[in-house]
Amino acid sequence: MLNLHLLYPEIGLAVFALVLLTADLFFKGGKGKFLYFLGVFSACLTLGILGLAYSSPETYQGLGTMWTVDPLALFFKVLILATVILVLLLSVEYKPEAAHGHLGSFSALVLLSAVGMMLLVSAVDLLLIFLALELVSISSFILVGYERKDLRSSEGAMKYFIIGAFSSALMVYGISLFYGSMGTTRLTEIYPLFAQRSSAMFILGCLLILVGFGFKISMAPFHLWVADAYEGAPTPVTAFLSVAPKIAGMAVLLRVFTHFVPLASLDLSHVLCFLAMLTMTVGNCTAIFQTNVKRLLAYSSIAQAGYMLIGFVTGGILGREGVLLYSLVYLFMNLGIFAVVIHLGNEDGYELDAFDGLAKRDLALALLSTFFLLSLAGIPPLAGFIAKFRLFQSAIQGGWYWLAVVGVLNSVISVYYYMSIAHHMFFREPRRAEPARRGWIVTGTVALATAAIFLFGLYPEPALSTVRLSAEILPARAAGAARAAAPSTGPALLP
Amino acid sequence: MELLSTITFLPLLGGLVILCVPKEKVGLIRGLAIFTTAATFAASLFLLGGFDPNLVGESIPKLQYVEQLNWIPSLGVHYFMGVDGLSVPIILLTTLLSFLAAIYSIGIETRVKEFFFWYLLLEVGMIGVFCAMDLFLFYLFWELTLVPMYFLIGVWGGPKKEFAAIKFFLFTLFGSVFMLLGILALYFASTPHTFNMLELMQANGSWSRSFQIVVFIAFYLGLAVKIPAFPFHTWLPLAHVEAPTPVSVILAGVLLKMGVYGLIRISYSILPAGYEWFLPYLIIIAFINIVYGALCAMAQTDMKKMVAYSSVNHMGYCLLGLAAVSTTGFNGAIFQMITHGIITGALFLLVGVLYDRAHTRDITAFGGLGAKLPVYSGIMALTCFASLGLPGLAGFVGEFMCFLGAFAYWKFWTTLSVAGILITAAFFLRMMQKVFLGPFNEKWKDLPEINLRELIAVGPLAVLTVLFGVWPQLILGLTDPTVKMISNMYEHMFQLVR
Repeated sequence: MLNLHLLYPEIGLAVFALVLLTADLFFKGGKGKFLYFLGVFSACLTLGILGLAYSSPETYQGLGTMWTVDPLALFFKVLILATVILVLLLSVEYKPEAAHGHLGSFSALVLLSAVGMMLLVSAVDLLLIFLALELVSISSFILVGYERKDLRSSEGAMKYFIIGAFSSALMVYGISLFYGSMGTTRLTEIYPLFAQRSSAMFILGCLLILVGFGFKISMAPFHLWVADAYEGAPTPVTAFLSVAPKIAGMAVLLRVFTHFVPLASLDLSHVLCFLAMLTMTVGNCTAIFQTNVKRLLAYSSIAQAGYMLIGFVTGGILGREGVLLYSLVYLFMNLGIFAVVIHLGNEDGYELDAFDGLAKRDLALALLSTFFLLSLAGIPPLAGFIAKFRLFQSAIQGGWYWLAVVGVLNSVISVYYYMSIAHHMFFREPRRAEPARRGWIVTGTVALATAAIFLFGLYPEPALSTVRLSAEILPARAAGAARAAAPSTGPALLP
Repeated sequence: MELLSTITFLPLLGGLVILCVPKEKVGLIRGLAIFTTAATFAASLFLLGGFDPNLVGESIPKLQYVEQLNWIPSLGVHYFMGVDGLSVPIILLTTLLSFLAAIYSIGIETRVKEFFFWYLLLEVGMIGVFCAMDLFLFYLFWELTLVPMYFLIGVWGGPKKEFAAIKFFLFTLFGSVFMLLGILALYFASTPHTFNMLELMQANGSWSRSFQIVVFIAFYLGLAVKIPAFPFHTWLPLAHVEAPTPVSVILAGVLLKMGVYGLIRISYSILPAGYEWFLPYLIIIAFINIVYGALCAMAQTDMKKMVAYSSVNHMGYCLLGLAAVSTTGFNGAIFQMITHGIITGALFLLVGVLYDRAHTRDITAFGGLGAKLPVYSGIMALTCFASLGLPGLAGFVGEFMCFLGAFAYWKFWTTLSVAGILITAAFFLRMMQKVFLGPFNEKWKDLPEINLRELIAVGPLAVLTVLFGVWPQLILGLTDPTVKMISNMYEHMFQLVR
C-alpha cells in the first residue's frame, strides 16, 4: 500500500520553501518583507494539512516503514509550525539592516529546517533520523551566520558548525554500532530483539546516539556552543533555535529512549539523571553571570532543557506527559520574552540595560515580560509552574527524590537572574524618556503568549488532556501490554 | 453564597480596574484602592455573621462557607475553600490591616498605579492562603504573595531596597520549593491520591514515622522562613527596614502569620508524628527566637529595625505556644498572632509617621517629644506597652497563654524564655525614654503632630489593642471550640509530652 499521503505536510512545506527560494529573485529591497508573510502563509497552510490528520485519523495517521504519523508526532509538528509562524512574523520586526538581504532564502531556510524537524519527530528509522537531523542542522548553521558582515554571527556559525559536525559523527558511529548488534536500523523491528541481544556494543551505540542528541538539545556537558551561537545569530534565529530544534530533539528522544529502547532497560537512567542535574545546574549557575540578554536566555534555555530531561529519567507516562506539556508551555513563554528582546534590541542593543526603566516607558510590556520571566522560573499560577509541577511530580512518583530536590533548588537559582531582568525594568531609570513604540506584531505575539501562559496556568485541564492524548506512540508496544501495565490515571503508589 | 471567593478575589478585581486607569489620575487610583480594601474588609465582616464558632467536627475540623469545585481533574486539584475558628480571626486581621495600610499608603507619591496593583495582588494571596483547604491551592496563594512583595520592597523601599527585595524573594522561595516537594510526597502517599487537607488529616494513620518526619522537615523549611524561625530569620530585619511603611505593616502583620498558621494547619494536623518528633527542637527554637530576637532588638538604634527584631521575638512566643500542643498553648499562639498583627502593625505605622517628618529613625536623635507631640506620644506609649506585654492590653493575654501552655510541659526552656519578656520591656522602655522623655531636642521644634490620615490608620489598631486586652473573649470565643478539637485530634500521640 502506498502511504505517501502521510507525508503530505512535509512535502507541501518543502515545495513552499523552494518557491520562496525562487521568489527571492523577484522581490528585492523593501518589497522583500512580503516573503516573510509568504513563509507564514505556507506554514499556516501546512498546519491546515496537519488538521487533516486530526480530522480523519484512520486515513492520515499510521505507521510506515521509516516514518510514522502518530499523536506524538502530530503534537510536535503543530508546535514546530507554530514556532515557525511566530518567528517569521517576529523577523518582520527585526530591524538591523545587515539581515535584510535575501529575505526569501532566510524564510526558505527556516521552512527547510522545519521540514527537517517534522521528519525528525516522525522518523522510526535511525537513518531517517540522521538525515532529518542533518537537514535541520545545515539550515541552522546558515541561519546563525546570516549576518555575514557581523563577526559574531560568523563566529557563532563556525562554532555551531564544527561542534554540530562533531556530534553528527558521534551519532553516526553510534548508529553503526547499533546496526552492528541489532542488524537493523529500524526501531520498529528491534524491540523484540534487544532483550536477548543487548550487549556492551549495543549500549555503547545507544549512549553515543544519546550524546549526539545531547549536543542538539544543549545537554551539559555538550552545551558549549550554545551561548556563542545564540549570541551571534540574528535574534529571530536565536528565538527559533532556542525553541524548535530543542523540542524536536526532545520528541525524538522520547520516541527512542522512552519507547523503543527504554533507558531503564539499558541501565542508563542514572547516567541521564546525573546529566539532567548537571544541565540545569550548569545552565542556571552560568546564566547568573551574563550581562547580555541573548547569552542569558541561551543559558536559561540550557537549564530549561535540564528540567525537561527529568521526564526522560523517570520514563513513565507521567514523565512523558511532563515533557510534552513543558514543550508546549516553553514555546509560548520563551517566544514571548524573545518578542520583547527583539523589540527592545532594535534600538538599545542586547545588553541587560536595554531593559532599563521599561516599566516607566511602557508599563504593560514590562508587566507582561515579568510574567514570561516568572513563568520561566516556574512561579505559580503561571503555565511554567504547572509544567514543572508535572515533571517534579513524575520524579517524586518514580522515587527520584534527589533529582526533584536539585530541580527545585535550581528553580530558586533561576529566579535570581530572571528577576535581574525585572530589576532592570522596574528598579532602574529609563535611558530614554519616550515610550517604546510597539509594532502590531510584537504586541500580538506578546498578547498571545500572555494569554497562553495564563490559560495553561489557571485552567490547564484542556492542555493536560491534549497532552495525555498526544503522548501516544505508534506502534503501540507489544499489543498494548505496556499500557495495560501502567494505568493512565492514578499512577502506581510509591513506598 | 460564595463569600470566601468574593473576599479573596475582590482585591484582584480592584487591581485589574486600577491597571486600566491612566497613571496620571492618582486620586482616582488611591480612591479605588481604598474602596476595594474597604469593601473586602466589609465582606469579611459578613463572614462573622454566619459563622458558628461552636460548629466543630469530631476528629477533623468542620469547615464553614465551604466551596468545592473540581478544578484540574488531571492533577487531582480541587478549588476547595473553607474556614474554621482557626482561620476566621486571621482573615479578619488580614482584611483590616490591608484596609488601614491602604489608607496610610496615600502617602506614597511615586508610581502610584503600580504600587496599588501589587498591593492588591498581595492581598489576594494573603487571604487565599488562609481560605485554601487544598494543598495545591494553598501553595498557589502562598507563592502569589512573593512577587508583589518583591516589587513593593524593591521599588518603593529604602536605600538597600533592591538587595532586600531579592533576598526576601530567594529566601522565601528556597523554603517554599521544599514545601512543594512535601506536598507532592503527601499526594503520592495518600490513596486515592489527593491534595485535600481534610482527607490527608485522616490518611496519616497509615504513614510511617520516618516518612512523616521527612515530609515534616520539607514543610518546616517553607514555613520557618516565613515565621521567621531562627536561623532563617535573617531576611526579616532587612526586608522590614527597607520596605515602605504600609508594606512593613503587611509584612509583619500578616505574612509572618502564614508560617504559624501553616504549622498548625498542615504540619501538626497532617503530620502529627513528624510534629511530635520535632517538639524538643521547636521549644529550643522558640527560646532562641524569644531571647535572641529581644537581644538583637536591644542592640538597635534604628527604631524600625528594633520593631523588626521585636517581631522575631514575638513570633517566638507563638512557637512557644505551639510547642505546648494544648488548648491553652494553641489558643495563646493564635491570640498572639492576632495581637502581634495589630500591635506591630501600629508600631510600624507610628515609626513611619515619625520618619516621614524627621527623615531619621535613630533613637538617639530625638528627645522630649512627649510634650511636643502629645497625641502621637500617647498612642506610641500605649502600643509599646502593649507590645512589651503590660497586663490590661492585648499583648499580655497572648504571651501569658503561650507561657502558661508551654510551662506545663517544658518547664526548663519556658523559664529561660521568661528572660525575653524582661529584655523586651527593657528595649521598649529605653526607646520611649530616649525619644519621648528627657530634655527636648530643639532641632525638632517644627515637628508637626500626627495628621488625620495617619490617625485614621492607627486609631482603630489602638482601640483594638485596648479592647482585646480587657475582653480577650472576643477572639477566644471564635477560636476556642476549634482549637479544643484540634489540640485533642491526636491525643494518643501526644500523651507522652503531657
